[in-house]
Amino acid sequence: MNENSTPPSSRSALRRLLVVLAITAGVVIYAYGWNVTDISLDEVQDSTRQASVTRALRELLSPDLFARDRTQKIYQAPFGIGCPEGEADATRRDDLDGDAYVVFSPSCADPDDIVTVEGFHLPANAIASIRIRRDNDQTLPFKLVRKDGTVSEETVFDVDNSGYFNVQVKVPRGRGISNQTLPLEIQTISPAGWPRLSQTTNTVIEKMIETIFLALMATTLAVPISIAISFLAARNLMRQIHLPLGNVLVGFVLLPVGGLLGYLLLGPLGRMTVGWGEGLWLGLLGPVVAIAAFGAVARMSDRLTLNGTGNRVRGLVMNILLLLVVVMVLGALGGLFVWIGGQLTGSLTRYLGHFLGTLGQLVDFTIEWFAALGGALVLASIGATWSATALRGIQAPLSNILGAVLGALGGAILLAFTALIGTQAVLLGLLTAIVAALMGGQTLVLIYERVFDRPSVALRRRRREDVSAEQAVRSALFIVGAVITFLVAAYVLDLLRAIVDERPPSARMMDLGPISIRVYIAQAALMGAVLGGLAGGLAGAHTSFPLGMAIYNTTRTILNALRSIEPLIMGIVFVIWVGVGPFAGVLALTLHSIAALGKLYSEQVENIDAGPIEAIQSTGANRLQTIVYAVWPQIVPPYIAFTMYRWDINVRMSTIIGFVGGGGIGFLLQQQINLLRYNQAGVAVLAIAIVVSVLDYASAAIRERLV
Amino acid sequence: MLKIEHLTKIYDNGVHALKDVSFEVPDGQFLVIIGLSGSGKSTLLRCINRLIEPTDGRIIWNGIDITAATDEELRLIRRRIGMIFQQFNLVRRAPVITNVLAGRLGYTNPMWSLINHFSREDKLKALEKLERVGIREKAYIRADQLSGGQQQRVGIARALMQEPELMLADEPVASLDPATSHSVMKYLEQLNREDGITILCSLHFLSLARTYADRIIALKDGRMEFDGDPAEIDDKRFKDIYGEDAVRVEIA
Repeated sequence: MNENSTPPSSRSALRRLLVVLAITAGVVIYAYGWNVTDISLDEVQDSTRQASVTRALRELLSPDLFARDRTQKIYQAPFGIGCPEGEADATRRDDLDGDAYVVFSPSCADPDDIVTVEGFHLPANAIASIRIRRDNDQTLPFKLVRKDGTVSEETVFDVDNSGYFNVQVKVPRGRGISNQTLPLEIQTISPAGWPRLSQTTNTVIEKMIETIFLALMATTLAVPISIAISFLAARNLMRQIHLPLGNVLVGFVLLPVGGLLGYLLLGPLGRMTVGWGEGLWLGLLGPVVAIAAFGAVARMSDRLTLNGTGNRVRGLVMNILLLLVVVMVLGALGGLFVWIGGQLTGSLTRYLGHFLGTLGQLVDFTIEWFAALGGALVLASIGATWSATALRGIQAPLSNILGAVLGALGGAILLAFTALIGTQAVLLGLLTAIVAALMGGQTLVLIYERVFDRPSVALRRRRREDVSAEQAVRSALFIVGAVITFLVAAYVLDLLRAIVDERPPSARMMDLGPISIRVYIAQAALMGAVLGGLAGGLAGAHTSFPLGMAIYNTTRTILNALRSIEPLIMGIVFVIWVGVGPFAGVLALTLHSIAALGKLYSEQVENIDAGPIEAIQSTGANRLQTIVYAVWPQIVPPYIAFTMYRWDINVRMSTIIGFVGGGGIGFLLQQQINLLRYNQAGVAVLAIAIVVSVLDYASAAIRERLV
Repeated sequence: MLKIEHLTKIYDNGVHALKDVSFEVPDGQFLVIIGLSGSGKSTLLRCINRLIEPTDGRIIWNGIDITAATDEELRLIRRRIGMIFQQFNLVRRAPVITNVLAGRLGYTNPMWSLINHFSREDKLKALEKLERVGIREKAYIRADQLSGGQQQRVGIARALMQEPELMLADEPVASLDPATSHSVMKYLEQLNREDGITILCSLHFLSLARTYADRIIALKDGRMEFDGDPAEIDDKRFKDIYGEDAVRVEIA
């Protein structure tokens, strides 16, 4: 700012005004928040509420932990109602059973008179009451008189720990009890035997065990998946992975083909081996033979010295054989587990039988999909590897034509796939438009580079040129392209209808020769083909594509989205699916743990020392070997530590997952709170506090040792 | 024969680490690369086995263009190029023998690696290589229990497992004391003389370079400043390479 703008004094006045305005606005916003959250002192001061909260807290802090057997004893002594003349002695001692005795003063009284009763050597710590037994065998209780002389409705009083009591009671009034001596009964109910855990405590312990195991199951089920994901979400591992665009596209196009082949060819094989497994002997024999045969072939093929193509053929054959063997072994194991599950029915082995049986069923359900996934991955990786040689040294026009063709295919598959997801729910329909927008933005940037013959930012930065303006132009173009494509996609796919009217996309079909295709999906595929073809053609098949970073960003996005959904909300969904009970809680916590652990683990991978990775890579190791020998040894200790930490968190979460029906101690706690049984709720709260703090301490200790 | 042609490396952050470096290394030579920190020595060595992707230029080894190799071909090339590092880069938590066996990974079917399996011949070979660098008795001790000099010898044994024809040594003695430095350099010299392995070794100290090198290349700011016989480096050349203020430090 220069001299001819506002003079300093008025500037500082303006500044002050702005500060005052900002503070005022702040106060107003804060006050609004105060209102929205109903902060008020009326309720706090209300006496009934104060009484309720006092009672609730007192009961919560008097948990119903222990119980004891009780014995009842009735002592009898004659008592005159209506004193004969001259017989109103000051005191009278009556010996009861054993060495117990009571002292009445006065020794007899009229109805409504007040008598002081002292008892000695009665059962210690008993609760007692005094009553009179009438001729017709009915009893009339003596009501207690308070210190100030008023009569209470209470009839029960405490005997102290030396067996002594001293109470003032009012003699009851009743027809036909005057002027006669009637048996007076003192009833004591006293604790007997050793204290034991109350029914509540037993239930709480049972539920607490369920809670701890719920957390354990969720954690252990999440760990293997999270470990696999953590490598994909580690920037340092993924950043190096660059492949020519052509190879990536060939691999991508082959994904669905491989999936289909796997499902159709390998799926039945898996199914068959599940059947073998269920027949025991074939199930035991099949995998052993398969593994042995594979080992022998592997050994033999390792001996062969081959040239480049031969090597690649060997790799291809071995990969396919390995997939076959894995599917077979998995299927047979699944079948075997089902068989074992059926055999183990003894009282102790039943648990094991159920565990293995369920695992077997899981294999049975998923073997075909597993085969499809395996087929997709193997075929895609083969495609990417084999096309590497074919595409190397490819020149400009051919490279672009190939890029366009492959890009169109890949784009069509990608958008058809997202459209398929989009048919499921209204909001998922956005996915297609978002993916299309990303492609559109990139296409516009590529068009700019081509038309104006601009070198890429990376190249210009290498030439030490100032790239900030250039980058701004590119970003702007990307946004413009993305917005335009998004709008076009929204129009073509009729997203307005979907989102505003909450109608699923139209189910109109169209016939293409023998197959009929849903128009919605065909439109998406066409859009993908156009965008992908444009982008691929402009970039060319030889361009280096940061495949690693693409996978990294996708994985991170999914993980972050999953992590932002509270397990309580996931719990609600799973309760609908599998019903009320701990299994729903396990599923909800597993899903959340996968996301949370995936992130924690991947950060550990990012923190490792890069030196061993360099060293292992320089020996000619491939990616898998690099992970096994350089990455894995470095991440085991932090992984164990974070798994403990997650178990600790899961125990906390599983204590409340029961509030939505997810099982565990939360379910019990919620019931007791709803029934206003705070003594019992107190036990649950105490149990949670103990278990959480013990685990907290233990996991902190273990982490300290490992990290 | 290793041929470096117009090798250039510009990092993504704009650092120009190598500028048009060209030279040839005949088989069996002990070549030492000297230069200040940041002069491009490490980048040059890492470009040769493509731990770092060169920006421009070609590296041709025995007639094969390393810079044009696919991932798969690169693995086959890498397994015949051993490398040792300033920080040894051992897997610290693993036993010595596992670290040495890792040198065979390029020859091992990746499936075996999943279960950490190596053939019997490989295990015997690992013990033999450890014998050669004089620490066979340490085979089953965790790598981080060893002294710096011993760790570097494990690094050499690991590289030897590759049966290399070429050895890249990136400041192999910079983290070691003078006496240990000489013992490690002696092992490299032995490999060069007895096994005929070509050695490219980067060093800080000119005195060490003079003792062991057949030939010295000096880098300064990514450019070749000197290429010739160790005896040719006089005071003037020394100041050209290390700058006007540099003082010669002798290492015993």
